[in-house]
Amino acid sequence: MSKDFSIVGKSVIREDGFEKITGRAKFADDYKFDGMLFSVMLRIPATHAKINSIDFSEIQNNPSVASIITSQDIPGAKKIGMIKNDQPVFCDEKVVTPGDVLAMIVGEDETELRNLVAKIKVDYTLLPTLTDPTKALEDNALLIHPELGSNLICYHPLRKGDVEKGFAESDKILERVYTTQTIEHAYIEPEAVIAIPLEDGAVKVIGSIQNPFTARRIVASVLNLPNEKVQVVQAQLGGSFGGKDDTMCMLSARAAVAAIKLNRPVKIRYARDESILESYKRHPYILKYKVGFSKIGKINAMKIDLLADGGAYCSMSPFVTWRSVVQATGPYEIENVQTDVRAVYTNNPYTGAMRGFGSPQPIFAQESLMDEIALHVGVTPDEIRRRNGLKLGSVTATGQTLKEHDVNLIPVLDKAVSFTNFAQKWKANKKEQVAAKEYVFDKPIFRDEQFIAPDSLIRKGIGLAVSFRGCSLGAEGLDQSSCYISVQPDGKIVMLSGLAENGQGLRMTLLMAAAEELGVTTDKIIYLETDTSKIEDSGPTVASRGTIMGAAAAKNAAELLRAQLEKVVRDEYKLDETDFISFRENLVFSRKKGMIAKFDDVVKAAYENKVELSAIGRYKSPDVSWDEHTGQGDAYFTYVYGCQVAEVSVNTGTGEVYLNKITAVHDPGTVINRLGALGQVYGGVTQGAGYGILEEVTTNDGMIRELNFDQYLIPTAKDIDEIKPLFLEGNEKYGAWGAKSLGEPTLELGAAAIANAVCNALGKRFYNLPLNLEEVLLGRKLRPQDIKRGSL
Amino acid sequence: MIDIMCEVLTPENLTDALQLLAKADSTTKILAGGTDVVVGKTQGSKRFADTVTLIDINRIEELKGIFEKDGMISIGAATTFSEICKSKLVEEKLPLLKKASSTIGSLQIRNRATIAGNFVNNAPCADTVPALLVYDASIEIKSQAATRNISLQEFLQGPYKTQLQQGELVTRILVPTPKQNYAGDFYKLGRRRAVAISRLTLAVLILLNGKEIADIKIASGAVTPIGKRFPKLEEFAKGKVMTDNLLRDLSKKMGEEVLAVTGLRWSSDYKLPVVQQMFYQLLKGIER
Ligand SMILES: Cc1cc2nc3c(=O)[nH]c(=O)nc-3n(C[C@H](O)[C@H](O)[C@H](O)COP(=O)(O)OP(=O)(O)OC[C@H]3O[C@@H](n4cnc5c(N)ncnc54)[C@H](O)[C@@H]3O)c2cc1C
Repeated sequence: MSKDFSIVGKSVIREDGFEKITGRAKFADDYKFDGMLFSVMLRIPATHAKINSIDFSEIQNNPSVASIITSQDIPGAKKIGMIKNDQPVFCDEKVVTPGDVLAMIVGEDETELRNLVAKIKVDYTLLPTLTDPTKALEDNALLIHPELGSNLICYHPLRKGDVEKGFAESDKILERVYTTQTIEHAYIEPEAVIAIPLEDGAVKVIGSIQNPFTARRIVASVLNLPNEKVQVVQAQLGGSFGGKDDTMCMLSARAAVAAIKLNRPVKIRYARDESILESYKRHPYILKYKVGFSKIGKINAMKIDLLADGGAYCSMSPFVTWRSVVQATGPYEIENVQTDVRAVYTNNPYTGAMRGFGSPQPIFAQESLMDEIALHVGVTPDEIRRRNGLKLGSVTATGQTLKEHDVNLIPVLDKAVSFTNFAQKWKANKKEQVAAKEYVFDKPIFRDEQFIAPDSLIRKGIGLAVSFRGCSLGAEGLDQSSCYISVQPDGKIVMLSGLAENGQGLRMTLLMAAAEELGVTTDKIIYLETDTSKIEDSGPTVASRGTIMGAAAAKNAAELLRAQLEKVVRDEYKLDETDFISFRENLVFSRKKGMIAKFDDVVKAAYENKVELSAIGRYKSPDVSWDEHTGQGDAYFTYVYGCQVAEVSVNTGTGEVYLNKITAVHDPGTVINRLGALGQVYGGVTQGAGYGILEEVTTNDGMIRELNFDQYLIPTAKDIDEIKPLFLEGNEKYGAWGAKSLGEPTLELGAAAIANAVCNALGKRFYNLPLNLEEVLLGRKLRPQDIKRGSL
Repeated sequence: MIDIMCEVLTPENLTDALQLLAKADSTTKILAGGTDVVVGKTQGSKRFADTVTLIDINRIEELKGIFEKDGMISIGAATTFSEICKSKLVEEKLPLLKKASSTIGSLQIRNRATIAGNFVNNAPCADTVPALLVYDASIEIKSQAATRNISLQEFLQGPYKTQLQQGELVTRILVPTPKQNYAGDFYKLGRRRAVAISRLTLAVLILLNGKEIADIKIASGAVTPIGKRFPKLEEFAKGKVMTDNLLRDLSKKMGEEVLAVTGLRWSSDYKLPVVQQMFYQLLKGIER
């Protein structure tokens, strides 16, 4: 494969960068229309309640209320969902989690509506709550959705070999339980959407929507309209991280119902607390691992049981947990594996898609476990991974043989280890390590020996984690994408992609792929706004598939177009069959004659000769396979590999973990936009760090304590000293020039690497994320009794 | 979307401000940087629930500036933390105040937030309070009728409570210029390194005579209902030789006092060991 590129692999500033830093970019809430109304949601402070009646009489005739929207106003589906239709648009019978919305009032003055909504009287009966996922499947458990007959959302088993035999043949067996916490996406832009009625009962929706085609499907079903009567346009997106899917579909549907009813544009926009209250979160997991290995640390068998709290609605739980079942062992070749993954309903805030999507949880567990195995065997963490890691020809837990791409697990590991001088630092820290002082609280006041000598206060640690990650959707579903390109008479090119920008820089990546193929500079191509009525559905922007699926389609479209242009060149400039034509930097070259024309001249000639200058490029993923009963199959058509090394300083007096350096080595295949790739690493590493040491959505009987950013803490620029991205671009036959995935791998490793580093510093292992101050100092979490803000 | 629905008055000088204040009732509040008022108002805090008028004091020259006069360092009430951090005088004479100011919020917050706003709001975690307390700060308060001076310690009454009366404005903070060579330090612990609400703050000034503690001033924040000095601890330490044993004893006594003030709370299991450990570490750092 030739890697002599003119644009691909360079650092190019994203085309919307200037607009964004100058504040000119238009986000959903920046759109205003004549006669536009606002909406305010009606909720009750209850986690689980039966609604007896809603009394609107006090506001009904108030001139500020243009309309009260309830489920009576819904012409179509009253319940929606990504996979299962279990989430009511308006919960007028029952509330199953505090974010639930009973009704919505609409009017011109948003502030006044907020005052008025408090005057609606809701008569409800509190029901017992189920907030502990471990109790959800008990015989007498209350049912969140009685009509479903069970709280089980989904179950994915995986059986390979014979674990009991594997354990019997092992020299040592370890059993561990890990827990991971609920977290919030924390996109900077809260949800906003506007629905505008069009002629013929059609509706247009503009919003901070991650996946316009999904939103169209849901809005159409709620309005009982055919797809073509719903047009969804994506505004600039202020972050999503997987979080602007279900919630935005829901808000789009509510706004659309109101817009159709009132025949006026209707906007819904959330403030931060409302966003955190209603939007879905990352699944908290309880992870039980049993592993058997030989004296030299070769793993014989692994038995895994994962329980995910899906909260009140199904959302993406079946797919999130499916990725977990595929990747639960980590990137290791193990003969005998038995995995059971379940997601259950509770009254907690519901959980769904978030960058990482079912991988950060098992990675934290399995990479902690690998370090423990290394300690038992007496080798360094990198060595234990070399002994078990996947290589070319290895068979994964799902029975898939890895082939036809560079299986770069060991290479990324080796690169990270040598770059950071890992083994030497790890051993030196281990020698220094003092078992963290266990504060035994028999007495609140210190004994003399509990004071720490100042030069032992700060302890250094280094830790690593590795992963493999299936690219794109895999056996989750249909995987294809389209891209439309056409050349205008003046030589400008327009592009429309079915994959939506999520703020990550996808547009520039697609522009670069087309520009490379057409030999033009990226400023010649204009990326049109994503609009469901103008291009075919290319599936959602999820699963780190934007580049592997989107750039491949863009490249294919450009290839088709270039073939047309080549024909024109050959005719127009009388080149013989053996001559070779190339396009570079808006110029056209012949091998024999040198520079022969400008790109624009060729376009002009094409128009004069009535040659078609438009093309739709398509990319379809290769086939994958899956057996639901055994968990065996070729789950994904290819994989990417990563290794992150965390170097930390731990304050043994306070439990603070400071991140001195994170080295992130990733094989994303070919890098298209280097700047975009670096951005993914910086952002993903930072989010991973937040998951590792800071972030947690906690609840008290289902009620969220951290409803704003004064309580919900994400890392700031000051919390990580240095992030060092390194790319190892392996060969791959799929995608555009072998460009694969990077977005999610960058996030999934951090927490595990940090936990291993803290263990290296203190000699004490932590099994429960996040490693916040209390966890590190006391080995447990502390919580206030209530949800009051700012109590001491 | 944030609409605090208040009328904002902007007097150009102190006389006008005091006149406006004299006419105002309890529905009027002073607006300095607004980083507590505006945020409190939007969060629906009870303290600002009936506030409908704000008197913006940012244009008043008399409330600005940092200078030294007659053995006193005078800081204008509406001086922002960014201005305090840039002041050579503060850096040289009141290093703990500079350090405390530099830990507040983020650059954007420090560009707006003022020193008087910090202690008039008087949150348990007001970061400059412990620093000002160990410097024995007092404040000048004016109303149309009178001017009074009061020590900061006396001024602070309880969480979010002060001695400020209706119609009064804090005009200046007055700190006696430390005459001798006090060594000292300020410590803040938050859950992250910026924009962090303090879990613990400590401020200590020590005057050593050889190895003997001639004078010591100790204050804390965020572990007690409001920032406070520790006179009993100070008395205990004065005149004693600064040994490791003494520092441990002092730290334990600090733990005992905090426990006595707060009783056991959900956070005590964490905060009590940390206050003792980090007070000890702070003292050891000063000793070196
Ligand atoms: C994101 C964020 C981060 C923060 N981080 C920190 C932090 O790290 N540490 C910390 O201590 N605080 C922090 N704060 C709180 C706040 O910034 C400080 O308390 C600040 O000092 C308040 O000053 P201000 O000028 O903004 O006060 P304002 O909000 O304007 O006023 C606060 C109170 O003081 C009164 N007032 C103000 N000036 C006077 C005066 N001259 N005379 C009489 N009354 C007056 C007002 O009426 C009001 O009651 C933070 C706030 C935010 C929003």
